[in-house]
This record gives sequence, C-alpha cells and structure tokens, in this order.
Amino acid sequence: MLSPHDFVRVEEFVWEIPTTYRPDMRVPARLYADEELLNIALTDNSIAQLVNTCTLPGIMQHAIAMPDIHQGYGFPIGGVVATRLPHGVISPGGVGYDINCGVRLLVSQATVEEIQPFLGEIACVLYSNCPSGVGARGSLRLTNPEVDEVLHEGARWMLGKGYADQEDLNHTEEFGRIPGADAAQVSQHAHERGRGQLGTLGAGNHFIEVDRIAEVWDHAIAARLKIYPDNVAVQIHCGSRGLGHQICEDYVSRFQKSVHDYGITLPDRELVCVPLDSAEGSEYLRAMACAANFAFANRQLLAHLIRQSFERVLERRTKDFNLYQVYDIAHNMAKIEEHEVDGHPLRLCVHRKGATRAFGPGSAVLPDDLRDIGQPVLIPGSMGTASYVLIGTTAAMRQTYGSTCHGAGRVMSRAKARKLVRGADLRQDLKSRGIVVCAGSMSGLAEEAPTAYKDVSRVVEVVHKAGIAKKIARLEPIAVIKG
Amino acid sequence: MILEHDLEGMSGVEEVEHTADRAFHIRGRDLTELLRHAAQVMLALEGGPPTSECFVRRVIEVEGTDRETLLVNWLNEILYLEQTHQETYHHCLLHDVTDRHLRAQLYGRKLHHSVASVKAVTFHNLEVKESSEGLEATVVVDV
Repeated sequence: MLSPHDFVRVEEFVWEIPTTYRPDMRVPARLYADEELLNIALTDNSIAQLVNTCTLPGIMQHAIAMPDIHQGYGFPIGGVVATRLPHGVISPGGVGYDINCGVRLLVSQATVEEIQPFLGEIACVLYSNCPSGVGARGSLRLTNPEVDEVLHEGARWMLGKGYADQEDLNHTEEFGRIPGADAAQVSQHAHERGRGQLGTLGAGNHFIEVDRIAEVWDHAIAARLKIYPDNVAVQIHCGSRGLGHQICEDYVSRFQKSVHDYGITLPDRELVCVPLDSAEGSEYLRAMACAANFAFANRQLLAHLIRQSFERVLERRTKDFNLYQVYDIAHNMAKIEEHEVDGHPLRLCVHRKGATRAFGPGSAVLPDDLRDIGQPVLIPGSMGTASYVLIGTTAAMRQTYGSTCHGAGRVMSRAKARKLVRGADLRQDLKSRGIVVCAGSMSGLAEEAPTAYKDVSRVVEVVHKAGIAKKIARLEPIAVIKG
Repeated sequence: MILEHDLEGMSGVEEVEHTADRAFHIRGRDLTELLRHAAQVMLALEGGPPTSECFVRRVIEVEGTDRETLLVNWLNEILYLEQTHQETYHHCLLHDVTDRHLRAQLYGRKLHHSVASVKAVTFHNLEVKESSEGLEATVVVDV
C-alpha cells in the first residue's frame, strides 16, 4: 500500500514516486496536488494504477496525474501518459470506453436576470429536446453511408446540414475533426450501437447545465471569449456514446492476444497496448478517430438542439438569446502531437484519460483568434457546484505535454453515494438553492451528489498555482439536465 | 425479470467497492456457473420492467482467447444486444462451454425505452481463479 512517504516533493504542487519504488517502472510517476489532495488520492487504488502506467513500453519522462485523479480501470482517471513514436505503444484503455468524452461551453449576451422568469420552462424544453440515458436514441436517423460520413468528418458534417456554423468548428479542439479516421476499422457492432445515438446525452456524470457567470478574474481574456459577469452560459458534457464504448471494447479484447505477440508484459490486462507503428496500432488510432469525430458531432448536434430550445422559449421574450461557442474540449483521447523534450522536438502519442489539453499561447494548432491567448480549458464541477473556465499556459507545454485537470474527481463509490443520499432530497436541496433539476433517474441523481466528489475549487487552485492552466472565470449552476 | 436491487443476496455475486465504476466478485462451481452468475449481474444492471408483451429469444455464440476474454466478450455481447435491440433479458441458458467458446440462449422482452446504465465490461485486474468452491473472478464494469 502506498503512503505519502513513497513520494518525493519536487515542486510545491508536484510529487514524484521514483522508479526505485517498483522494479518494473520505466519512468517515475508524478502527481499534481496539495497535501490534502495527495492524501485523498491515497484512499483508493488510483496511485497504484498510475504506477502501473509507468511500465508501458516507450513511455516518456514520467506518467502524470492531475489533482482530480481517482480510481479507474487500467489507467487512473486524471492521468497523462506520453509515448514516443514510432515504437512506443498506444493503449485503448489509456483513452477509455467513452472516447472523446468532453465539454462544450456556450455563452449568451443575455443576463441571468433576463432569463430567470423562464428558467423552469427552458429546463423542461432542454430535457425534452436532448434525449438522455445510456441507450437513448436521438431524432436524427442516419443511413449507413451517412454514419460513415460523420465518422470521417466529425462536427464538420454538421456544417452542411445547418446544425453548425464555421465559428463553432473554429472553437472546437482539432476543429471538430480528427484526421485519419477510417470507418472500415469500426466493427458492425459499433456502427449499430452508434447509429441512433447522435444528438443524445447519455447517463452517469453526463449533463447539460445552464450557468451564471459568477466571477471573472482575467477580464481581458474573458472578453475575448465573450464571457461577462452575470451572463448566461451552457455546458454540455458527453462523449461518443455506444459507438465509442464498443470500439474500445473491440480493441481491448483483440489486443489481449496482440500484446503477447509483441512480447509486452503488463501488470494489468486493461493496459493492453501495441506499438504505434504496428498495423494493429494504426487500426485502433483510425477507429478511435472515428469515435472522436462522432463525439464532436454529437456535442455539435446537442448544441444545435440547445440553441433551438432557447429560441423556442425566449424568442420575443428577451433581446439576445443567441449562444456563442467559447470552446469544445476532449478529455478522453490519445493524440499524436509534437512536444519539446530536453530541447528537442519529438512526435509523441499523448494519452489523456480524464485530462484536458491545455495548449498555451503561440501554439500553431490553435485558431487564429485564440493563438495569442492560448486554448480555453473547461472544467466542469460536480452537480450543484462551480465550474471553471481556464486558459492553457506555456508552463503546461513544458511540464505536462500541454495538459491539465478535467473536473472534480470522485471520492465515493456510486453504491455508497446511493446509500447515503436520496435523489429526491438532493433535488429538493438544489431547488432550495435556486437550481432547477430535470433528471431521468433519482438513483442516478444520488450517485452524482456533490459529496461523492472532491472540491473542484481546490483542484482548480492546484493547477492554477502550479501554472499548468490559468483561471479565467467561475460558473455557478442554475439548471441541471441529467440522464 | 431481474432488477438491480436483486443483486443484493444474489447467489455467487457480491458487489465490492470501486470509486468511479461498479465491481462484482463472482463465484461459480465451474466455468458455466461463473458465466451464468456474471450474466445475472449484467441482466440486473441493464434490466428494467418490460414495457411490452413481445417476448424475444436470442441465440448467440461467443469466443475468446482464454477464460477471461471469453467472460468479458460474453458480458459485452449481452450489453450490445440489450442496447442495440432495446431488449431486457431475464434468463439465460449456456451450452457447450469451453475456455474459449460458448453458445447461449437469452430470453426476455422488448423495451419501449432503453434503461441501460452500463458502458462496458473491463479487463481490469481480471483473473478467473481456482477456489475451494470452484472458480471466482472480480469484474469491473464501466458505468
């Protein structure tokens, strides 16, 4: 069992487990945390899972954990692992089942005061227009060739259908389309699970949330993002739905054999991986890109449905209810990126599982209008608590392959949360705080109770003070829509 | 019909703590019983009150490279069928079970609305081990 004594403090908010801890570690493990978050991380198996990732062939420098780390399966949630091309490995479990689970933030120039009289109606219409639940099906029925077009084109496919505008795509990670997607690498099972699910939210911790912009720290950058105090914002948190789940299942199962073929020994079967330059590695990356594109398209269609919902309720009632897209980020993804390591530019495969890309100012992959300020980073809190808008930093590029945290991070099992919290009580508590809740399941609501999570503000303080993202604004929820 | 609350006290199944997902310790006198008990967990997690009188029967074959892969592929196949066809199963019959292959029949009903809650069954620390009672394994489910 790990203890705080197994860590060496290398910076104020950076703790390291050296390779002497376990003989199979190829590199040290690093955790971004303050003392309290370090101790919380030691209460489950997340740090042991982080150490396991240090055994992956081709891993660079150190495996990294963010302050929201918690126990997952194989990789911990809140981990970043970079492997070197061409011989380093790609691990589907290092991306996770919900490929390109991510967050999109829309903001309005309307104030909360202006929409407050209609908030209940807005929540009801959002709940009705945006289908939720793990197996939920959307209203958009696609033919097989159309599904393949979405897998190849991502959110860009929505542009030609009137569900997106160019500004939305410019303000989406990878412009809403991961290159290299090949639908031929996606199984029939995955196609079938995904076909009816475009424009659906899913369940678990996925949500649509209407927020008030409660506090702004950097007014200049916030203004560039059209973020102003007291205005309305909307967050969408969801991913690639059954299609992504099935793609991960298919490749994790298939790689159980491949890993032996490549002579790779691992401490956990969920970590299975293959060399990036292998045929199997290429096939997974092409299938993963399909799921990522499906997720970008999914959040794009949900954004369209949300805009329709706002229009339906607010037209002729408020002046400016348009929703402008701040950004859309992925927090479960493996990306081929160039990073400077020891003064040399290297091509790496950066696995971010429960971690957000946070590219700093000057990054060539950012759109023209954001390049000088850096990439917006969206950190949703647990239900009923604050969420944050941050911006990527140069320090993140140096320290964490341009990565930062992704949320609050769980501390309590779903079973325990259901025992301790009654969904109806929680809904009443949120209502008393002025938060409207529309949820498909009371037990699902209880599982997502704030007490089941770490304090997101503390997590954000750590990444801000460590310099791997900078605080821009804080959002407070006023309506929550859940599966 | 099997519902989630039926998991408590279910023979050969015990839920164990997991911070983010769900984990179950499953026992069986042999591989067939272990696979059947594991399926009961999946049917309970994915089950819901049938909203249709339309009965369904599915006949499936599943393969794996070893017992663990067979176990995960079996559970994920049930998940795929339930979510794709919007069905809930209450009973399964297993035939011709080896370490690498099984045939099964699933019996259930159509649902008007999916009540699915499971994303996938994982290989996390999965090992089908011999025990004094037969076989045991701990399965982590992504929810």
